[in-house]
Amino acid sequence: MGVQNGAAIDIAGLTKSFGRAKALDGLDLSVESGQVHGFLGPNGSGKTTTIRILLGLLRADAGTVRMLGGDPWRDAVALHHRLAYVPGDVNLWPNITGGEVIDLLGRMRGGLDRRRRDELLQRFDLDPRKKARTYSKGNRQKVALVAALASDAELLLLDEPTSGLDPLMEAQFQQCIHQIKQEGRTVLLSSHILAEVEALCDRVSIIRLGRTVESGTLGELRHLTRTSIAVETVQPLTGIDALPGVHDLVLEDHSARFDVDTAELDAVVRRLAPLGVRSLTSTPPTLEEMFLRHYGEEETSGAEATS
Amino acid sequence: MTGTGMLLRFMLRRERFALPCWLLGVTLLVLIQSTQSQRLYDSAEDLAKLRQSIGGNTAVIAMSGPTRLLNTIGGEVVFEIFAFTCIVLALMNMFLVGRHTRADEESGRAELVRSARVGRRATLAAALALAGLANLAAGLLAFAAVAGTGLPIAGSALFGAAFAAVGMTFAAMTAVAVQVFENTRPAYGAVALALGAAYVLRAAGDVGNGTLSWLSPIGWGQRTFPYVDDRWWPLAIPVAVTAVLGAAAMALLERRDFATGLVRPRPGPATASAMLGSPLGLAWRLQRASLGGWAAGLFLLGAAYGSIGDSIEQYVADNPEVAEFLPGGAADIVNSYLALTAMTLALTAAAYAAVAALRARGEETAGRTEPVLATATSRAGWLASHLTVAAIGSALVLTAAGLGEGLAYGLTVSDAGQIPRLIGVALGYLPALWVVTAVAVLGIGWVPRAAAGLAWTAFGYCAVVALFADSFDIPGWAQRGSPFAHTPRAPLDPVSPAPLLVLGAVAVALAVGGYAGLRRRDVGY
Repeated sequence: MGVQNGAAIDIAGLTKSFGRAKALDGLDLSVESGQVHGFLGPNGSGKTTTIRILLGLLRADAGTVRMLGGDPWRDAVALHHRLAYVPGDVNLWPNITGGEVIDLLGRMRGGLDRRRRDELLQRFDLDPRKKARTYSKGNRQKVALVAALASDAELLLLDEPTSGLDPLMEAQFQQCIHQIKQEGRTVLLSSHILAEVEALCDRVSIIRLGRTVESGTLGELRHLTRTSIAVETVQPLTGIDALPGVHDLVLEDHSARFDVDTAELDAVVRRLAPLGVRSLTSTPPTLEEMFLRHYGEEETSGAEATS
Repeated sequence: MTGTGMLLRFMLRRERFALPCWLLGVTLLVLIQSTQSQRLYDSAEDLAKLRQSIGGNTAVIAMSGPTRLLNTIGGEVVFEIFAFTCIVLALMNMFLVGRHTRADEESGRAELVRSARVGRRATLAAALALAGLANLAAGLLAFAAVAGTGLPIAGSALFGAAFAAVGMTFAAMTAVAVQVFENTRPAYGAVALALGAAYVLRAAGDVGNGTLSWLSPIGWGQRTFPYVDDRWWPLAIPVAVTAVLGAAAMALLERRDFATGLVRPRPGPATASAMLGSPLGLAWRLQRASLGGWAAGLFLLGAAYGSIGDSIEQYVADNPEVAEFLPGGAADIVNSYLALTAMTLALTAAAYAAVAALRARGEETAGRTEPVLATATSRAGWLASHLTVAAIGSALVLTAAGLGEGLAYGLTVSDAGQIPRLIGVALGYLPALWVVTAVAVLGIGWVPRAAAGLAWTAFGYCAVVALFADSFDIPGWAQRGSPFAHTPRAPLDPVSPAPLLVLGAVAVALAVGGYAGLRRRDVGY
């Protein structure tokens, strides 16, 4: 593939307002070529707005946006030859069949691989002869997916592409993305399905209120969050609550349960060791916990501010 | 049937804007016709002359109704307006019943309703009750319009009752159609076909010996002969047909599953044809049905105008006050009539020019522009695709209007040369239509949310200036903004290319200006 070196997408300090509502507020996003990049955030955090700016549908207020070495607003048409897109909310022409829509979108992008198209139709179990108005939400999504995946675009922008699919189709989708990754193509995947993110993504960015709050590999992100500890000691547990980074402490004489910032884990273990550890379980944060913490940050930070 | 009353109240609430508009529209049609007819034919002699000039004109009879109606002035009003308002009323009933039954089922809204304590038949029963109320209101308003303008009470009551009965027949017909078809589109298609058949059967019957008229709901209404014979018994037919169709709809409802019809929709093509591979191919696909409808409608309207072109001289001689309405006065009656009707046809076509351009904005607000612009399609290419269809479509619609008028007029005067002549006359308005399209494009570019308002305001301004400039004494400067004011009134006035070229240039400039706005704005908002 003709992949240029470095980043497929490079966004810095991006802002965008609709009237008074600020949709993006200094967003940064960097997607390496050949990687699958997870794009996460609660509803209304600005994921779709970012993707629409990448498509040149919306004009950025401020900040820099580069995609495939071009300017998404100025070079929209040239760039669109090289990318495929699946919208989060798929609206189709009610009186045109799914097969016609796939062909139409493919031709307008600059041609599609008919063999791959037919194979994908099989794979996703989609009847191309039905008029779009009779498709369910999931089937409309399949139409958009087949149209995008049947292309040989070097960059795929996928906005919650599987939110209406069943687990079987989800598995097919993951296979397709794995294959795309092997071919060295780039994917920006906005998703709420954490198992999907975990299975597919090399790196993830989490955004909230139009701003990037975390970015890195899943391992790196885990490191930044808390680990749950349950411990039982010979000597009575003292001084734990004074340690930095300890949260939600439930303390009895010889046992305790608490969460600790993963960065502070070492200090906590050093404090526990002299007390004679009888048992210790340490649970790394699940993805859910990680995201819930980020998504719900507004509430916690608000609570901390008032206390 | 549990929940029927509650659903009916909810439907009335949903209809609180649309339904009054429809009712007001049909009432105004009746009101205007009643006042105009009574002013034009205020004596028995006038009416007798009308019978003579129109009684022998099969085209007019086919358009309107049986000549027996022309025996009284009230009957003359029925003759002129009844068949036409029945079409409007039938469409009102079709959309009313379709909207609250199949459309809701198609969108999935009905599923929510049916999951509540609501009986299987409640929705259909409530929709028919709603149609009943709407037709009752239409009948009462029509009665008020004709009786209020001084026509006899007994005939007016029959007029209103016949009107409501015809409307109800089409409501019941729609109730059956929405059971048969899974989508509103084919259901509406079937009812529209039945409506067209009703009009054609009536026309054939009225021109012939009358038998075929008895197969048409419009015929049943007209053959009560209000103000002439005042006979009520023909209304037993629409009442019985409504009851049978309503019962049939209920029976069919029991035989089908929710969200399906009795006829499975036919599968479409699995792959796109070669045509459907570009923005222009898509725009054509999306707009061709609407274009066909407009062209057919304007062809018929043109034929209606053309059919009386030949009798207009005699008609004006009998009714000299009509000459005031003609731009050339009494001097060159046929040509002034043709000029006036050509402009009216062009004005109607201008509504198409606005509709076709606004389709681009409709696509955008429906979220269907996004996937197109995400392909290698430029904004210019996307806008140009719809614009091309609007521009060429306007030419086709004008050609259809000119063809209809030329064909009908040419037939009555035995001169095939009228066909190219009147097509040429109609096409003279093409630059004016392009200006209307271009105004819509300007709106789409710079004030997308107000684009429809802007385009329809421009259309309304053109219509007011063209039709009422003289009667309202609109000053010359206030007329100058209308492209129609700059189009030569062929065949009355000679056509010179200069104003047409200027209008064309204005249209191009406005469209380019609109694109300049589209280039720099967000798409999808």
